[in-house]
Amino acid sequence: MFEINAIALNSIFAVIITVIVCFIISTLLPGIERKYVHARIQQRIGPPVTSPGIMAPIKFLFKENIKPSSPVPGLYKALPVICFLVVLFLFIALTPFAYAIPALASLVAIVGLLKVEEICYVLMGALSKSIMSVRMPFPDRVKGAAHLNTTRSFIEDISARRSLRMITYGSFPLYLALFAPVTQARSIFLQDIVMYQQTHGPFLFTVAGGISAVVFFIGYMIMLNEYPFSIIKAKCDVIEGPYMEYASKYRSVVFITRGFLMLTLGVLFSVLFIGIPPTVFSPTILINIFVVLVFVFMMGIFSAFTPVFTNRQLLPTILGSTLLGILAIVIGLL
Amino acid sequence: MEEKVPRSNIIETEIPMGTVHPAALEPYRVRLFVEDEIVQEAEITIGVNHRGIERIMEGLPVEKANSLTEKICGICSNAHIWNSCRTAEIGLDIEIPERARYIRVIMSELERLHSHFLYLAHGCETVAHETFSMRAFYLRETVMELLAMIGGNRVQYGCSVLGGVRPRCDLDEAKLLRLKDDLDKIEEGLTDFAQRFMADSILISRVTGVGALPAEQAIRLAVTGPSLRATGVARDLRTTMFEYDDFDFNIITQPDGDVKSNLLMRALESFESINIIRQAIANIPEGKVVNRDWEMFDTDIIESYIEVPRGTLYHSYALESGRVRHCVIRTPSMANIGAMQYACIGDHITDAQLCIVQCDPCFTCTDRAIEIIRR
Amino acid sequence: MGIKSFSRARAIHVMLVYTGGCNGCDIEIVNSILSPRFDAEQYKVFLTWNPREADVLVVTGPVTHLNRKPLEAIYEAIPEPKLVVAAGSCALMGGVYKNIHGDIPSEEIEGPVENIIPVAAKIPGCAVRPQDVLAGVVSLLPTLLDAD
Repeated sequence: MFEINAIALNSIFAVIITVIVCFIISTLLPGIERKYVHARIQQRIGPPVTSPGIMAPIKFLFKENIKPSSPVPGLYKALPVICFLVVLFLFIALTPFAYAIPALASLVAIVGLLKVEEICYVLMGALSKSIMSVRMPFPDRVKGAAHLNTTRSFIEDISARRSLRMITYGSFPLYLALFAPVTQARSIFLQDIVMYQQTHGPFLFTVAGGISAVVFFIGYMIMLNEYPFSIIKAKCDVIEGPYMEYASKYRSVVFITRGFLMLTLGVLFSVLFIGIPPTVFSPTILINIFVVLVFVFMMGIFSAFTPVFTNRQLLPTILGSTLLGILAIVIGLL
Repeated sequence: MEEKVPRSNIIETEIPMGTVHPAALEPYRVRLFVEDEIVQEAEITIGVNHRGIERIMEGLPVEKANSLTEKICGICSNAHIWNSCRTAEIGLDIEIPERARYIRVIMSELERLHSHFLYLAHGCETVAHETFSMRAFYLRETVMELLAMIGGNRVQYGCSVLGGVRPRCDLDEAKLLRLKDDLDKIEEGLTDFAQRFMADSILISRVTGVGALPAEQAIRLAVTGPSLRATGVARDLRTTMFEYDDFDFNIITQPDGDVKSNLLMRALESFESINIIRQAIANIPEGKVVNRDWEMFDTDIIESYIEVPRGTLYHSYALESGRVRHCVIRTPSMANIGAMQYACIGDHITDAQLCIVQCDPCFTCTDRAIEIIRR
Repeated sequence: MGIKSFSRARAIHVMLVYTGGCNGCDIEIVNSILSPRFDAEQYKVFLTWNPREADVLVVTGPVTHLNRKPLEAIYEAIPEPKLVVAAGSCALMGGVYKNIHGDIPSEEIEGPVENIIPVAAKIPGCAVRPQDVLAGVVSLLPTLLDAD
């Protein structure tokens, strides 16, 4: 009895250390993307690496906590925290210590957690009522103006509708790519997927794995709302979309969550496609970090060279990558 | 608006944007009436910038009024001061030295370059392509430095005065040499930019067919300037201006009137501007730059039209004992507002600001007129 | 230097509000941030369009009638500590639009930015130069760092 407790304590301790180490790395990722990829491509010096990921969130912690303009301020404020916890659980599910809880360390749980994340965006968009559109005090409904009796929408409402659309079909490629390794390992539990790859070699280097890795990358960019898939927070119409009303602590949580999600999705790839779970007690964590950095660099390059997509480009891209994902699963099954 | 009928007449909701918005470089309000993210109608409210500059000009000595017109717009400031001086010069029969005329053309074409580069940068920024936008801004910086070299300031140079140009703006050998060198640099950079732009299939697919404006509709809406030429109508006031008699240049047109044609149009027109400046540098005559030998007398209302980077600019005033009376200024964006509202129809909301930007709006210029709506 | 001042010095979010100037200052400011030649991000100055994110509000233009309320609303939306930079002579003192015919005050503008919201730094120039904009925003640092 005592021994089991000691092992459990040990695991918890290991999880905490792993989370802390990876969290610190994750705060550097937005800065790395901005400074070493975007700024390099744009031929400028760019911000210090620490500024976008670490210093900005810390700065926001010390700002005045303004009551957001939202019909349900309490829920609206809770959403970024929920998002962060979801990402945290997602990361814990990927560590080898979570294998003891099969319900958590399975693809179903991972998909569920990612879905929660996406639903949070919808709620955020629907609950945010920012100053930048309808509430701007400007006499535009005056005598002589067109259509005086229409309903008016905030720009975040468009954003909420778009994130709903992203839930229904936008994130499809990512989920297909997540299930591609299952066709080989014949199990949805991460432990089995990792074990299978440790005996049979990484799934990445098979045909199905290669195809689904591409699909995973597209899904990764969609999930992170990075250009060109940033339709829910495109600067040219919805400005920042769901995040418009967050100030102080909540904005800093939003910033941190983004970095951590970048890391977690990269680690997810290394677990599912290379078979290396993250743990600080093994040097293989360097491979995890390497995969994360490769993803960040690739995303930076893609986003620096693409404009934001509208439906005309988005639908074919998503359709194409979904078909690729199905192809990968079919090849895997054969 | 017959040709471009909205897909349905149902207006689901209204999305107002502005007056402060990242895609707009100046304050205006746009109300988009949408159905399922497709714009069915757009209404642009201007007048946000109304500062009453014509009222300030009324009764000012003409020299002061000229330098005041420059403050109408920070993008085409030289065009305003040039046209304002030109108005008085036409009325008072002032002969302008050849050299001054050449320097005015050089300034005007440099300004066209910087305005068109700003357009390219702003257009790319509005489709959220930060890298191309930064590249265009980088190109523009060279032009800005040339303008600062000639006029002494980066934005408002105050080049033209009655009877010629300010002696500060005279071009000596060193300045001409630098102008020549930098033009080569600009041309090289622009060629590179245009090639990369055309080779970028994602960007091209993003801007092709967006905000299309048919030629007949453009004429009906009285669109002017590059926005009109991008629909295929070859109409450029520079062909009728005596200042441009000595120069060879082509009128660029593009077929479709969409954002791609507009962007390309600006890029190609910039090459023509470079060409004109080169001719001016090669043939610049010697002599004085300002003619002080003229007399002031009262005149009737004088009118002057010139082609500025955005289209046709109209200045008119009467002179009464050396002071400006009945001043009217009509800027090209005034005519293009109809085109902006029209171009939005049928496009996605994400493209709506792009459709407005494609007509190169300059509402700070425009906000003087009062539109009377009869209902 | 505490962690508060340290972090504030390393991430300054700037929001730009144009209130009816001639476009010259607006474009110079956008230029100073977007152009690789000036690249404000290397001085840890980031451009944002969301008032909830901003620390420094850069205001250009003489504040016309229709712009007064939006400007106030945006200023209200920024969480403390916030500082306002007035850029360009119009924002500083009304510029050429201040008076009609000598010294009759113009009825078209609501006066310089100071009349509407408290201004912490003024950047002169018509139009402001990008270098001056950066210098002006960075000059606010001591005030910003010591704020609560």
